[in-house]
Amino acid sequence: MMLSFVMVSSIMMAGNNEPAPKKILPYPIQQGQLPNGLKVVTVPYDSPGLAAFYIVMRVGSRDEIDNGRTGFAHFFEHMMFRGTEKYPKEAYSDALKSTGASANANTSLDRTVYHMTGNAGMLDKMFELESDRFMNLKYSVQDFKTEAGAVKGEYTKNSASPYEQLDEKMNEIAFEKHTYKHTTMGFFKDVVDMPNQYDFSLEFFNKFYRPEYATILVVGDVTQEKVMALATKYFGAWQHGNYVNTIPVEPTQTETKYTHVKMANFPPVVSLNYKSPAYDPTKIDMHALDLLNTVLFSEKSDLYKKLVIEEQKVRGINGGATNSRDPYLSQIYASLVDAKDMQYVKDEIVKAIEKMKTTAVDQTTLDQAKMRMRYSFAMGMDSPTSIAEALAGYIWVTGDPESINKAYEMYDKVTPKDLMDVAKKYYVSTGLTIATISDAENCPVK
Amino acid sequence: MKKLIFNIALLLITAVSFGADVVELKLSKSDIIVIKVMFKNGSICDPSDKAGLTDMTASMIAEGGTKTMTSTQIQDYIYPWAASYFASVDKQVSIFTFEVHKDNLDKFYPVMIDLLKNPRFAEDDFNRIKSNQLNYVDEVIRSSSDEEYSKKYLEDLLFRGTNMQHLVEGTVAGVQSITLDDVKKHYSNFFGSSNMTIGIAGNYSADFLKKITTDLNGMPAAKSAIPEAGKGRQPKDFEVEIVAKDNALGSAIFAGFPMDLTRSNDDFAALMVANSWLGEHRKSYSRLYQKIREQRSMNYGDYTYIEWYNNGGGNMLPRPGFPRSSNYFSIWLRPVQTAKGLKGQYPELKDIEIGHAHFAIRMALREMDQMITKGMNKEDFELTRTFLRSYMKLYAQTPEQQLGYLLDSKFYGRKDWLKEADGLLANLTLEQVNAAMTKYWQTKNMFIAIITDKTEAVPLARSLRDNLDSPMSYSNVLKGVLTPEILNEDKLVQNYVMKVSNINIIDSNTTFK
Repeated sequence: MMLSFVMVSSIMMAGNNEPAPKKILPYPIQQGQLPNGLKVVTVPYDSPGLAAFYIVMRVGSRDEIDNGRTGFAHFFEHMMFRGTEKYPKEAYSDALKSTGASANANTSLDRTVYHMTGNAGMLDKMFELESDRFMNLKYSVQDFKTEAGAVKGEYTKNSASPYEQLDEKMNEIAFEKHTYKHTTMGFFKDVVDMPNQYDFSLEFFNKFYRPEYATILVVGDVTQEKVMALATKYFGAWQHGNYVNTIPVEPTQTETKYTHVKMANFPPVVSLNYKSPAYDPTKIDMHALDLLNTVLFSEKSDLYKKLVIEEQKVRGINGGATNSRDPYLSQIYASLVDAKDMQYVKDEIVKAIEKMKTTAVDQTTLDQAKMRMRYSFAMGMDSPTSIAEALAGYIWVTGDPESINKAYEMYDKVTPKDLMDVAKKYYVSTGLTIATISDAENCPVK
Repeated sequence: MKKLIFNIALLLITAVSFGADVVELKLSKSDIIVIKVMFKNGSICDPSDKAGLTDMTASMIAEGGTKTMTSTQIQDYIYPWAASYFASVDKQVSIFTFEVHKDNLDKFYPVMIDLLKNPRFAEDDFNRIKSNQLNYVDEVIRSSSDEEYSKKYLEDLLFRGTNMQHLVEGTVAGVQSITLDDVKKHYSNFFGSSNMTIGIAGNYSADFLKKITTDLNGMPAAKSAIPEAGKGRQPKDFEVEIVAKDNALGSAIFAGFPMDLTRSNDDFAALMVANSWLGEHRKSYSRLYQKIREQRSMNYGDYTYIEWYNNGGGNMLPRPGFPRSSNYFSIWLRPVQTAKGLKGQYPELKDIEIGHAHFAIRMALREMDQMITKGMNKEDFELTRTFLRSYMKLYAQTPEQQLGYLLDSKFYGRKDWLKEADGLLANLTLEQVNAAMTKYWQTKNMFIAIITDKTEAVPLARSLRDNLDSPMSYSNVLKGVLTPEILNEDKLVQNYVMKVSNINIIDSNTTFK
C-alpha cells in the first residue's frame, strides 16, 4: 500500500545516471536466527490487523533423486495437512478454520512454501499450529493412501492442458541426469504408485522437515520482537537434522533437442528452451538475461511488433528465465495463428537473438527496461501477501531475503555489453530444446 | 417538431450524462492510483446473432489505441512506468482498470481518457483481436482446462435460450459475423456516461477527481437501453449433458440450478454460512471436500457456490468485477477418474464399466440433501461464521481489490458490501441459516454438465439415465485401508436416487458454435 520516498527517488534518479539507492524494497528486512538454525524474517508493513505468515522450505522436486519417487516433495506438501497427535486431522481443520486465514501451500523445483494470510491478532495460534505440524506431523497409512488419490486428481485436472503435457515432455528430454528432468507433479506412473510409499514418506519428513531447511517469514502488522518471541516459543525445540542431498550434476548439452505434442484444434506453439545459469545474486548473468528477455520479448520489442502487431502470425510471445538453484532454462513461448508459420517464427526468434549477440542494444532501451522493472516491482508491493511472495522467491533460491535488494543493485549495473555476453553464452543451439504443439506427428521445426 | 424532439432528447441525455456514479477510495499513503470505469452492459447486450460483440468492443478499446496514438505507440509511451490497463467483461458489466504510479499519472491520464472516449477502432487491430477471440471460443476453451469447460458449459445449459447463455467471448458463428462497423455501433449503443460508474483509489487530489469525472461525464450517453439479464431455466428433475472428447483423463463436473438471490438481499449472508460449511472454495474444512477428496481420494477438490466465482482453478480468494442480477447455485466436482483411466492403473479394476463420476455426483447430492434436511448445528454455525467474518477481510487486500468490491457494491445497491456483510454475519442466527437453505436450496432438480472421455460417455449416460447402482471402484491398495464406516456409507451413496428426465451426449466439437 505504501511506497517509501526512497523507492520513488530511486526511480527518478535512474534516468539521471546518478547512483541508485541500494534497496528496492522500501521496508526493513529484519533477520534473526534461532540456535537450532531456523531463520526468522520479519518485515513490518502498514496493513492494520493483517499479517502474512510464510514458511519457506528449501526442498522441492529438485530433491527427488530416487527412481520411482518423482513428485514426492509435492505429495508431501499435501500430507502436511493431515494432522498431528495434538491436532488430528479434523481438529487441525477446525483450528485452522477458526483463524479465518487464507492458508495453503505450493511446491516447485527448489522449494515448498506454506502460507497463511490473516488476522495479525491470531499470529500466536498460527505459530502454534504450524510448529506442531512441522515438528510433530503424524498421519495414518489410511490418510497417506487416500491423499495420494487427491494428487492423482491434481495430475488429472492439469493434464487437460496441452501446455502441461508439453512441459512434462520438454523437461524430460532437456535434462539427462539432473532432477529437473521431471516436473514437480512427477511422472504419472510414480503418482499412481504413491500410495505404496508410506515408509519413504516418513524418511522424507525426517530428512527435510528440519530447521536448517526452513525460513519463517512474517510480513504485515507485526514487530520483530513479537515474531522472534513466537518463533522461539513454538519452534525453539525443533531438532536440527543432518541430511544433505546430493543432486546429480547435469552434463553439458551438446546439440539441439526436439520434442512435440500432437494436438489438433489447438493454437500451435513453438517453444525455445535454452539452458540458463543457476541463480547467483553476486553474478551479473541472470540479471542480464532477465533484461535481455524484457528487451527481446516485451510488447515494446521489435519482435513483438513484427510478429504480433504487423504480420499477425503470432497471437502472443513471451520469454523468461527461472531463478533456480541449479542451471535450468530460459524459456520462450510463441502461440501461433497458423501451424505453417512455425519454422518462420522459430527463425525470426533466433534471428532476433543473433542480432543481440552482434549489435549492442542502445542505452536508452536498456535504461527504460530497468525503469520498467523497478516501477513494476514497486506497483506490485501493495499487500503483505505480495511482499511475502516476492521475498519468498529469493529466500528459496539463495537462502537470504536480502538477495532481493542485491538483485536490483545488479540489475542497475547491467550494461549493453552484458546483454551481448549472456546472449552469446546462453542462447546457443547446443543448449537448446525445441518443443512444439501442433497437429503434426512430429516436431515440425528444425 | 422533429427538431424539437431531438433537442429535448439531447437535454435529457446531457442531464443523465452528468449523473455517472463515482466511487471513491482515498488512500493517503498509497503511491499507486487505480481507476476503474464500469459500464453496466456485459455480454447480455450482445445482439443474438453476434455473440461476443461486447467483449470484442471492450478489447478494441483496451487493445486498439486511440485516435491520436496506435496501441504500439501507447505501449512504447507507457512502457518505462509499468503502467497497466485492461478490460474485463462479464455477463452484465464491462470494467476498464488503469493502474499507474502517481509519478506518472499526469502523463498517463490523457491516454486513459482517450482510450475510453476516442478509441481508434482500426481495421488491423480489429483483425488481430477478432482472430484471437475466435480462436478462444473455437479451440482454446475446449482444449485447455476441462473444469473451466464444464463450468462454462453448465451456463450454456442452465441459461439456454436467454441472453445469459453464451460465453462472454461469444460463439464461433457470433464472433465470425462481427464487423468493425458492428463494434463502432455497439460502442455508441452500450458504452456511455449513462451506464457508467467511475471508481478511483489512491492519494489523488480533489482537482484530479473533478477533472476525471467531468471528462468522463463528457462521453455521450449510451444510445440503447440495457436489457434485463435472462433468468436461468428451471430444470425438471436432473437434466444432464455429457460432452465427449478425445483423450480426457478425467470427468469434469459442474451442476446447478437458478437461484433468486444475490448480494442485494440480506438472506445472502445466511446462505454464505451454509455454503461455506458445505463447499467453501478450495478449503479443506468443507463437507464435500472432506467426503469426496479427503475420505475417498476421488479427486482434487469439491466445492459449492452461491454466485459466479471467476477462474476458480487459479484464484484462492474471490475476485471482484463479476456482479450479476441473474444468479444460480452450483456444485463443482473437480475431475474424477474414468473407467478407462482406472483400468489402465489397476489390474483389479479391469471389469468396471464406469469411472467415479456417478458416485461423486450422488455423494455431493446426498450430503447437500442431508444438510438441508437436518440443518446446521450450533457449533458448526458459530465456527463457520467466525471463519467467514475473518476470511472476508482477505478478499480486498490491495487497493485494486478494494475498489473492485466497492464497484460491485454499487451494482447491488450496497455501499460497501464487505463491511455490510460483516454486520449481517454478526447478527445472523442459526435459524436464519437453516431457513435460507430450505428457501433457496433443493437437490431434486438440477442441470449437470460433464466433460469426459469418449469411452466414458455412453456407459455413464446409461448409468445416470437408468439410475443404476454406481458402487465405488477403489484400487486394492486403497480399499484395504478404508474404514468400515466409509465403506458402509458408500453402500448408501451408490444407490441414492437421482431421477434423470433428460440426458444427452454432445460431441465436444459442436459446443459453443
